[in-house]
Amino acid sequence: MLSQLTSQFPANDFTLLAAVLLLPLIGAFVCGIFGKRLGKEGVRLMALSAVFGSFIASVVTFIMVAAAPHTATKAARLSWKAWHWFDVTGRGRSVVPIDVSFSVDALSATMMLIVTGVGFLIHLYSTGYMAKDEGFYRFFAYLNLFIFSMLVLILGDNLLVLFVGWEGVGLCSYLLIGFWFDDEKKAAAGKKAFIANRIGDFGLLVAMAMLVYYAGTLSWDGLEAAQSAMAEQRTVWSASYLREFPDWLVWLRDLVTPEQPVRMMVATMVALALFIGCIGKSAQIPLFVWLPDAMAGPTPVSALIHAATMVTAGIYLVCRTSFIFALSPLAMAVVAGTGALTALFAASIAFAQTDLKKVLAYSTVSQLGFMFIGVGVGAFAAGFFHVITHAFFKGCLFLCAGSVIHAMHARVHDETASQDMRNMGGLRKYMPITHMTFLVSCLAIAGFPLTSGFWSKDELLFKAFTNTIVPLNPNIITPPLWYGQMIYAIGIVAAVGTAFYMFRAYFMTFHGDFRGWSIVAGFKPPAHDDHHDDDHADHDEPLEGPVPHESPRSMTVPLIILAFFAAIGGFVYAEPLHQVWPLEMFVSLEHFWSPVFATASKFVTTRPGSEAMMWPLLGVGAGVSLFGIGAAYWVYIVQKGEPAKAFVARAGGLHRLVLDKWRIDELYDATILGLIDAMGDIAAQCDRWIVDGIIAKLTSGVVKVTGHALRLLHTGRVQVYAASMVVGTAVIGWYVFTPHAEATIDARRVRPQGQVRFEAAAGHGYRYRWHIDGETVPDIFSGRRNFSMQLERCEQKTAVLTIKNAFDREAVTTYTQCRESKPGCCKPTDTPAPKKEALLGRVDGGVR
Amino acid sequence: MSDSVFFAIAPLLVVSLGGLLLMMTEVFATRRADADGPSSDLAMGTFITMLAGAITAFALWLVGPDNLAGAKAVAPYLLVDRFTLFFDMVLCLGGGIAALLAGGYLPEHKLDRGEFYPLLIFSTAGAMVLASAGDLLSLFIGLETMSLGVYAMVGFRRGSMRSTEAAIKYFLLGSFAAALLMYGGALLYGVTGKTALAGIGAAIRAGVSSTDWGILLLSMVLILAGLAFKVSAVPFHMWTPDAYEGAPTPATSFMAVAVKSAAFAMMLRVLISVFGDPLSTSWGTGWPPVVALLAVLTMTVANLVAGRQSSVKRMLAYSSVAHAGYVLVGVVALVEEPGTAQGSIMFYLLSYTVSTAGAFGALILCGSRGKEAVSYEDLAGLGKRHPAVALIFSFFLLSLAGMPPTAGFFGKLYIVSSSIGAGLHTLAVLLVLNSVLAAYYYLRVMEYMYMREPAAGAPIAVPMRSGYVRAALAICAVAVLVLGLWPTSSLSMAIDAALALR
Repeated sequence: MLSQLTSQFPANDFTLLAAVLLLPLIGAFVCGIFGKRLGKEGVRLMALSAVFGSFIASVVTFIMVAAAPHTATKAARLSWKAWHWFDVTGRGRSVVPIDVSFSVDALSATMMLIVTGVGFLIHLYSTGYMAKDEGFYRFFAYLNLFIFSMLVLILGDNLLVLFVGWEGVGLCSYLLIGFWFDDEKKAAAGKKAFIANRIGDFGLLVAMAMLVYYAGTLSWDGLEAAQSAMAEQRTVWSASYLREFPDWLVWLRDLVTPEQPVRMMVATMVALALFIGCIGKSAQIPLFVWLPDAMAGPTPVSALIHAATMVTAGIYLVCRTSFIFALSPLAMAVVAGTGALTALFAASIAFAQTDLKKVLAYSTVSQLGFMFIGVGVGAFAAGFFHVITHAFFKGCLFLCAGSVIHAMHARVHDETASQDMRNMGGLRKYMPITHMTFLVSCLAIAGFPLTSGFWSKDELLFKAFTNTIVPLNPNIITPPLWYGQMIYAIGIVAAVGTAFYMFRAYFMTFHGDFRGWSIVAGFKPPAHDDHHDDDHADHDEPLEGPVPHESPRSMTVPLIILAFFAAIGGFVYAEPLHQVWPLEMFVSLEHFWSPVFATASKFVTTRPGSEAMMWPLLGVGAGVSLFGIGAAYWVYIVQKGEPAKAFVARAGGLHRLVLDKWRIDELYDATILGLIDAMGDIAAQCDRWIVDGIIAKLTSGVVKVTGHALRLLHTGRVQVYAASMVVGTAVIGWYVFTPHAEATIDARRVRPQGQVRFEAAAGHGYRYRWHIDGETVPDIFSGRRNFSMQLERCEQKTAVLTIKNAFDREAVTTYTQCRESKPGCCKPTDTPAPKKEALLGRVDGGVR
Repeated sequence: MSDSVFFAIAPLLVVSLGGLLLMMTEVFATRRADADGPSSDLAMGTFITMLAGAITAFALWLVGPDNLAGAKAVAPYLLVDRFTLFFDMVLCLGGGIAALLAGGYLPEHKLDRGEFYPLLIFSTAGAMVLASAGDLLSLFIGLETMSLGVYAMVGFRRGSMRSTEAAIKYFLLGSFAAALLMYGGALLYGVTGKTALAGIGAAIRAGVSSTDWGILLLSMVLILAGLAFKVSAVPFHMWTPDAYEGAPTPATSFMAVAVKSAAFAMMLRVLISVFGDPLSTSWGTGWPPVVALLAVLTMTVANLVAGRQSSVKRMLAYSSVAHAGYVLVGVVALVEEPGTAQGSIMFYLLSYTVSTAGAFGALILCGSRGKEAVSYEDLAGLGKRHPAVALIFSFFLLSLAGMPPTAGFFGKLYIVSSSIGAGLHTLAVLLVLNSVLAAYYYLRVMEYMYMREPAAGAPIAVPMRSGYVRAALAICAVAVLVLGLWPTSSLSMAIDAALALR
């Protein structure tokens, strides 16, 4: 079976990827174009079967990747080149071909399973969740398009194809956040996401340009092989860059000129630029602000795009280019540091949120921070494994939240109220399946021992504690030795926080008494039950409603599957267990991925004695999660939330600050947006005064004057047209009639030997006469275009070129040259500007 | 068989004979009073003829022009090389799309008279002669054959003052330009004693006597002026908006794509074969500085004026002038980067052909009789009322503006990269800045279609229904997308064709 498949799809022409990619694209196309006519049943069938087909093909691909021959250092890679896209010009005019090609290895095969698998479950869930929405077909078209773009991102064989997918998922995210675009706030959230992502994408573009220039390729294999180019030190800022400053800006030049040329490793520059892209897409400090707002989209979208798949693209990119990141300890430290700070910071915000989806959103930001800690300390496999487990438990949590909100919608239609945890409580009685799956996922995210989150989080924190990145040579900047421990400490604090706020959310939602409305058995909704009369604010009397209902099966089945994986998914990695009981038949995922990270792993070492630290740190991890859960239980169940209220009463200011997300949005509003507004105002003023005032008036003035002149002359317009042609011809004629005395200067040998060479420009009928200013003028013109001039040290001479053209008209140009054998012996104003030479490859002389 | 003359010039013969056949059919055909007009079958006939021409040209491409012994018999009057064949394909494509557009447009606007199609075919045949001409005489014959047909097509709407006026203007000015060109050619003959382009070029390269330099320069000036008129470079462009606006839109589309492509083919032949020597290409007395100046003027003036138009058709006319400016940048780059620059020009012309023909076609589709889409206001709210039409119009506009992943993006990219390769950084920067200017008025159409509501009581455009126009748009859209996603094979064809000329 497998050998048949292998002969059908050889490793260098793996066309099965076409099926994986095209099915969702066809689904998007059909749903988008014909969706209205197909009806909801048709759209459901199309969208689900497209993604499911893609999933099946992914499973086959995964098996084939696992079975493909590979060694410990060389990963198996199945690739498919669709077509040759275009060429770009690299360094030294080399041609860099860019192909539309796709490939799959252990890393992308796993990610692709997650995208299509979790994607399918969320598609299934959405058919229930969105069943009553008018934009049903539009929703599924976008969702299918998202799956397609995400697969392009994962499977792209070079950075540019990845970028196409990267932009594609950004677009889908924008479309889906603003899915209910009638609501101003939701449309604004979509825009915010798009803009924050654009800032990051700029970094990615810069990285691509640098890679084309320095490495001469964008494909993964090529980049991995181009390690020597990546390790080069390059001057990024030196005095010579500022030579051409105008004289009146000299003070500025002196100010910014460095003493020594600043040098940087290519890998550092590229990695930092790539990481800017990751910051945007994966919502890290300082660009994380878009992700919480992105919860304005439908809840399945939050689960699929803003928790399970798209936002982890940044981690995927770092893993994909791990061989670049690992070269630069500085870039790795930046990645890990950003991740740690984000993990802690986002967790602190999640403490105070009352909106269920907002809690989950900040928790996503925080978890993404954990993943960056992992990849930043060189534990690429552990970081990426957290992507996988996170996809299960966070996807499940979001879907549970959606299920709860779905139930709340029975009586509460206001968006904020239906997502507010203060209106929930006690739901474990009414929604048993949602409750159980939520609890399992909460345990997983809190790192409860033996759940999936436990294994992934502990592994990456453990690696943070023990790993160091070895620089290629001693000149490379490296972070201090205690840096890893500091990251570990921050991570532990954030982990306690995670356990606490997640169980706070769990207890507030599922325990205690139901606070949404007073439950009336056999409640019949009022006849005029539309969306307006249910807002809490309008009612003084308590709202009555039916018993909150469990969601339909299309929604609960995905919950159960995801919760199942969230609970036991960790065992496919569980490094400590594998060390105790190595199993022949069951290979850990880390082992499966290790060839992919082989190049990068060469730069990662563990500190001596770290083996002994494994079990103690595992104990710390377990203790941390139990402590967080216990604290939440004590505060919200034992004490009924009294300590929290007391805290708010005592430190109200701090609480408000955290509730307002540390006012980061306001900070950006005041600084960056304020700056942009100011620039916009300036531009508007320019527009008003210069464009409208001068240019527009001038143009209309010219038109008016011309029109007036024409009327005066009583000419038909065709004569004017002909006249303009005549004028045009005359101008061309005048140009040809006028001689142009121009010469190129070759001053390369002026300093050592004092020789300057000139070559006058050629032209029909041109005759030339060269002499040195002050010497005798020869009276004959000849066809000799070359001339050379000899200079003594610090001597200055002027060469004079006279040209006579076919119409016997003459033109003269002078060229003054000085041999500057010691600095300052030539007056700077007399040297001809080298600028024009660079621009046009020659020097224009004025006609005298 | 394969060394026959007829085989070598088969694309031209196919198109010409097809034209004659269709004309005869139309003369002797009898129609019942209640039948559809002549467009119903002539449009398809014309399209098939053009398609046959393009396929024949492609077949000859595959055979390889070097293997065509018969080609020598017609040289130097008609040169059969890859350059010719490439342009044969582009011209047939442009003509065929114009025929399809006419098939929808003429009946809708009660202009359904059969003579439009023979005019279109013979004009295309003239353009093909022009693109393959290797001698001043055949060049002039091709130019006039092409132009006369177009003059008649511009004035096709006989009842309309505007159409007639446009035709007369175009005719007068065109004759003026042709006279300049012919006078320049006569002077060249006087200096070198030859009429074949390659022969003249060789004579100039060898050097003329010192008394003849002035005459040679004068002839260059006159020829440059004549060429500038044909490609409608500023300040020789003033006929363009009037003629484009007055002509029936299919004819406009034909002028914008086929006539312009043929004119550029002529320009490339003349500049490379005749004025390709080092003295003529110097920045002292040669054509590069003149063409560079024309390019800058053309891009800038056309884009500035286009932004101020209220009629979409006129805006598209100015936009086609601006695109000629972009191509002229590539022409300047010919001196330093002969292969890639010429390849980029030809790729640009191909991508421009499909984008512009598509844009004019979409404009045709947007309107119906009495409810035409003329001004921006007519298009207001079209995106809501007729999403499919608005979508396809936007697609072509994005291609004209040079957005990826459309053909226009790669066209511009190649021109810019070849001009940077040739060291023309200033021109490249100006080109990019100009395309920003151009984006303004292209996006403005989309703004009206998607973000404006029509004013109360204002006339609104009602899209017409025509299979022909839709087919034309489908062809253009597929071509724009394919060239945008997969530009390499057509680019390498263009570069092959370019090298064949050298």
